[in-house]
Amino acid sequence: MSQKTINMVIAALGGEGGGVLSNWLIDVADREGWMCQSTSLAGVAQRTGATIYYLELFPRSAITDGRLPVMSLFPAQGDIDIAVASEVAEAGRMVQRGFVTPDRTTLIASDHRVYGITEKQHLSDGIIDADRLRDVAQRYARNYVHYDMQALASEHNTVISAILFGTIAGAEVLPFSRGSFEATIQATGKAVKANLAAFEASYQRARQGGVETFEPVHVTPSQESGFQLPPARSGHGRELLSHIERFPSSCHEVLYQAVLKLVDYQDAAYAAQYLDMLQPVFEADSGDNDHDLTRETARYLVLWMCFEDIPRVAQFKTRATRMDKVREEVRAEPDQLFNVTEFFRPRVEEVCAMLPAGLGRRVQDSPICNRLIGMFSGGKRLRTNTVSVYVMLRLLAACRRWRRASLGYQHEHAMIRRWLDAVIGAASTDPALAREVAELGRLVKGYGDTRLRTTGQVGVMLTRLQGEAECSAETLRQWRESALADDEGEAFRRQLAA
Amino acid sequence: MAERSFAHEVQKLRAGQGEVFKGEGILAITKALLQSGVSYVGGYQGSPISHLMDVLNDAQEILGELGVHFEANGSEATAAAMLSASINYPLRGAVTWKSTVGTNVASDALSNLASSGVTGGAMVIVGEDYGEGSSIMQERTYAFAMKAQMWLIDPRPNLPSIVDMVEKGFALSEASNTPLFFMMRIRGCHVTGEFFAKDNQPPAFSDRNPVFPNREAEKIILPPNVYEQEREKIAERLPAALKFIREHQLNEFFPGKFEQLGIVVQGGVYNTVIRALQRQGLANAFGDSDIPIYVMNVAYPLVPEELVTFCRDKQQVLVLEEGQPEYVEQGIHTILRRNGVDTRVYGKDIMPMAGEYTGQVMLHGLTRFLQAARLPGVELPLDLAAVEALRTPLTEDDRLTLMDNVPPRPSGLCTGCPERPLFSALKQVQKELGPFHISSDIGCHSFATLAPFNLGNTIMGYGLSLASSSGIRHTLPHKSISIMGDGGFWHNGLTSGVTSAVFNKHDGLLIIVDNGYAAATGGQDIPSLVEPNKIIATTIDADRAGRDDQQPIDEACRGAGVKWIRTVSTYSVDTMKDTLREALTTEEKGLKVIIAEGECMLNRQRRIKPLMKQSISSGKRTLRARFMVDSETCTGDHACIRISGCPSLTIKPNPDPLRKDPVSYVDNSCVGCGVCGANAHAAILCPSFSRVDLIYNPSRWDRTVAGVRQRVIGWFQARGERKDRAQVL
Repeated sequence: MSQKTINMVIAALGGEGGGVLSNWLIDVADREGWMCQSTSLAGVAQRTGATIYYLELFPRSAITDGRLPVMSLFPAQGDIDIAVASEVAEAGRMVQRGFVTPDRTTLIASDHRVYGITEKQHLSDGIIDADRLRDVAQRYARNYVHYDMQALASEHNTVISAILFGTIAGAEVLPFSRGSFEATIQATGKAVKANLAAFEASYQRARQGGVETFEPVHVTPSQESGFQLPPARSGHGRELLSHIERFPSSCHEVLYQAVLKLVDYQDAAYAAQYLDMLQPVFEADSGDNDHDLTRETARYLVLWMCFEDIPRVAQFKTRATRMDKVREEVRAEPDQLFNVTEFFRPRVEEVCAMLPAGLGRRVQDSPICNRLIGMFSGGKRLRTNTVSVYVMLRLLAACRRWRRASLGYQHEHAMIRRWLDAVIGAASTDPALAREVAELGRLVKGYGDTRLRTTGQVGVMLTRLQGEAECSAETLRQWRESALADDEGEAFRRQLAA
Repeated sequence: MAERSFAHEVQKLRAGQGEVFKGEGILAITKALLQSGVSYVGGYQGSPISHLMDVLNDAQEILGELGVHFEANGSEATAAAMLSASINYPLRGAVTWKSTVGTNVASDALSNLASSGVTGGAMVIVGEDYGEGSSIMQERTYAFAMKAQMWLIDPRPNLPSIVDMVEKGFALSEASNTPLFFMMRIRGCHVTGEFFAKDNQPPAFSDRNPVFPNREAEKIILPPNVYEQEREKIAERLPAALKFIREHQLNEFFPGKFEQLGIVVQGGVYNTVIRALQRQGLANAFGDSDIPIYVMNVAYPLVPEELVTFCRDKQQVLVLEEGQPEYVEQGIHTILRRNGVDTRVYGKDIMPMAGEYTGQVMLHGLTRFLQAARLPGVELPLDLAAVEALRTPLTEDDRLTLMDNVPPRPSGLCTGCPERPLFSALKQVQKELGPFHISSDIGCHSFATLAPFNLGNTIMGYGLSLASSSGIRHTLPHKSISIMGDGGFWHNGLTSGVTSAVFNKHDGLLIIVDNGYAAATGGQDIPSLVEPNKIIATTIDADRAGRDDQQPIDEACRGAGVKWIRTVSTYSVDTMKDTLREALTTEEKGLKVIIAEGECMLNRQRRIKPLMKQSISSGKRTLRARFMVDSETCTGDHACIRISGCPSLTIKPNPDPLRKDPVSYVDNSCVGCGVCGANAHAAILCPSFSRVDLIYNPSRWDRTVAGVRQRVIGWFQARGERKDRAQVL
């Protein structure tokens, strides 16, 4: 009863090569005179889901009379020596399922994230806290070998299964020599050079003992980032920066970024206007939490004031740095040529929003004009790297000069005023409520219908807030969260009716 | 061409006497069939036996050499009917399918086959899709075996046992004139291992050596034969089977020193029992157990003599039977009581009634049994509390942390899947005309019932969506909507759905998702083809190898009497929306069929990727399209994701320090299908999506034009930068 199997579970996402990794491990075992039984829940139908492979290994040297060992087809809780996960949330799932136990399991997992659909489809930020997963994994694994294996894979232009393979070898959890692992890679005959280089790198990473000592980070960046306002380099800069200095230092970084954005969006006067608008918020701020009321209002105010109208989008699309960003985003070679096609669909409303307020309103109300503009709006595919489209977009971007007189500007600023007044009004009586009102600014985003829905919901909440004598911060928080529950506004309507 | 190619691995099937065969369970079964001298094989794909069909398909050359006939059957019913070849002739045959769904489809033919009885060995290899990782409702094939009287083989999950039981199974079938099930569990299908091969046996009869037509009127399913067949089942076939099983020792007795105890187990879960015993210090690595074990490799019928022999002198016996109801346990009770054996039988009283017997479940049940048995002088390494604690080592706090932070990963459509734009369109039309009640079907498109689409109310079976709309349609506020795949259409949907709907003047909409393959089961070919799509952004294409014998879906529908048929490329979201709207609002009566066409992207990429590589490396001018999101204009609402769910459309932290919400992001796995852009237009989303056409090996003209553009645009940009500098703070 002395010789036991080595039990190993591998969790991979569809298409990550979990099957290939299993086959490689079987091959290594074979070279070392070990039997390896593997099985999987490949489930042909389970596209894109999480897949589990299970391997048991047993030395042939322990077989005396030709009778083969009986191995299990199920990974069992408390019976796993090595757990491998291709991604940090999958490592969490391994722990959750009981496949990682402090007395015997080595957990080998990549630190990178592959976001799940619930995280991706969230109306705001649904990303889970990976640090907390790592913290739990650290405490429940006997040995936790982890680093960003996807980054290393990209560096070597290979797939994550090759990096996992090297990490398993380097973690020295299997009684097999390094040479057998390399021989397996060589025997595949495919991308041997890249995979050997990736093997070497991942082997060394794993060999570095604990690999990465993990320290949970618990700081809020704005408070402890040690941000220093830079010295002014222009006349208007001096004025703006000195105004910023009159705000508490915990707000400086946000205000500095805000002013940069506003100058880029419109001009220095717009930035000055912003600071003036914010001043009463600061004055009403009780100072709780390092003036987070001022800081967060400042954040959402600037984003709202830089609302994305047609000139703004055109400005972004024609920037000198744009093509470099595109090149990086699509991973084109340094001198590779490419064409960029934008998918625009401006609606009549967006076109009217650009026009001078009076004219814009008349056009919007006129069915004939509506139809006329409708003929030119609609789905557009524009090649921004052609001269004609580029020049047209530059012209549209230049229209921002007249933005202050536009219908869109008037509309947005009327809403902004209502919101700011509500923040200021609540600040003197109920700081917690004021903070919640400020947070409504985060809802304001999107284009077209999304924009209509989000600003509409903010408007509804502000009206309710005005109408009701007593509205607690908690109530407002519930309203706000319900607005983020779905994009049909269902939960929001229910919550407000409650 | 299926998703996984076994072209290389099937060469192993040529292994001869004494050679060591290493490989997967599925491959071992195929080898065992050839060693048994099968004359014909067939089946219908579905996890976990899809690969068996793929192996057979890829092994056609070897099958042909031996004279073995293969058919990729239209449905499980077709496959079951194929077995009738063994009724009148000593032909050995095997078919395979996913169970219990496939067994249900096949049941008419199977029952008749079982009543007639067989001369040649007839075997149904069922992939028992039960437990973790299953994709269907949870039932047992066992019930069907009992009611139709077919034997059920459930071998120990190691390759030598599997192969041995296939060979013995054919002999059992012939000795008892009864067809049988050969049951493989999910993990057993995919288990790897090794065994000593034997030579392949060419079938006794084949196209080289035809049979002489033989009529046995008493085997036809008509009165009075059927009454006689029922009598024969009990009077002759069952005793013959029991005798064969005993004489050839199909079931196994493993001795142990604690003779007062015993474990009765179906072969398929034997390894899990041994592991539990190993962990309790009662068995070694080779399965030598301190507790006697009776392994039923033939799970049905039970062999009374063997059970009585095993149980007679024991005080307590544990029956380990996965799934419910506990047919085996009930059968054992009956046998023991009738024979006056009063051994205490434990079973579902200490084991869970429902669900798979996983390692933990088995260890838990066995420990309860052992604690009740109180073995003298045996101290279990793990008492019941310790076993229960194994379930999770987590503290309550950590358990909650993981619950909040481990995201679910439901199945979804692949990157670039042609079905995605269809459901994007349907979701958008639902916003205008909905909410909808939708009858869904089996196939990749059933993932539309999950996030982010959340479309679909019921799934009744393969190809049954249209049929399942027929009872609800008169009460719906909108025309009924049924979604069916091309696989389901050919499997069952044409007859049960379309033909019946036209006959009953069904005034609803049927959307047939036509991607050219049985995609969900691994991309197997089906009767119809789908033309490669020129409209999507992926810029290289090659015609899929055409088949002159293809059977078009639209012609089949027309033939069945459908008047209103539209074929729309799924990637044209706007056109699809218009067509859906028209179908749902038209005054025209009768069944409306939209064939939503777009080739399965997995199959397409398998074809295109090598071509693209080759084209680039040969110096030819090549375009590769992919999409991207401008993180500056993205405001982090993720509406694009909620109408797409594409794996390559994901999120990343917002590069703008002022914004908190992550931005959408297209990762490098994008295949450039164009759905993001089409959706941005159709749903009026945002101006953040761009298509980038990467040019490989640019022509001189490309370079010249790019140079001119760069100079002009560069001049403007330099001017802009000067202005920006003036604005510095």
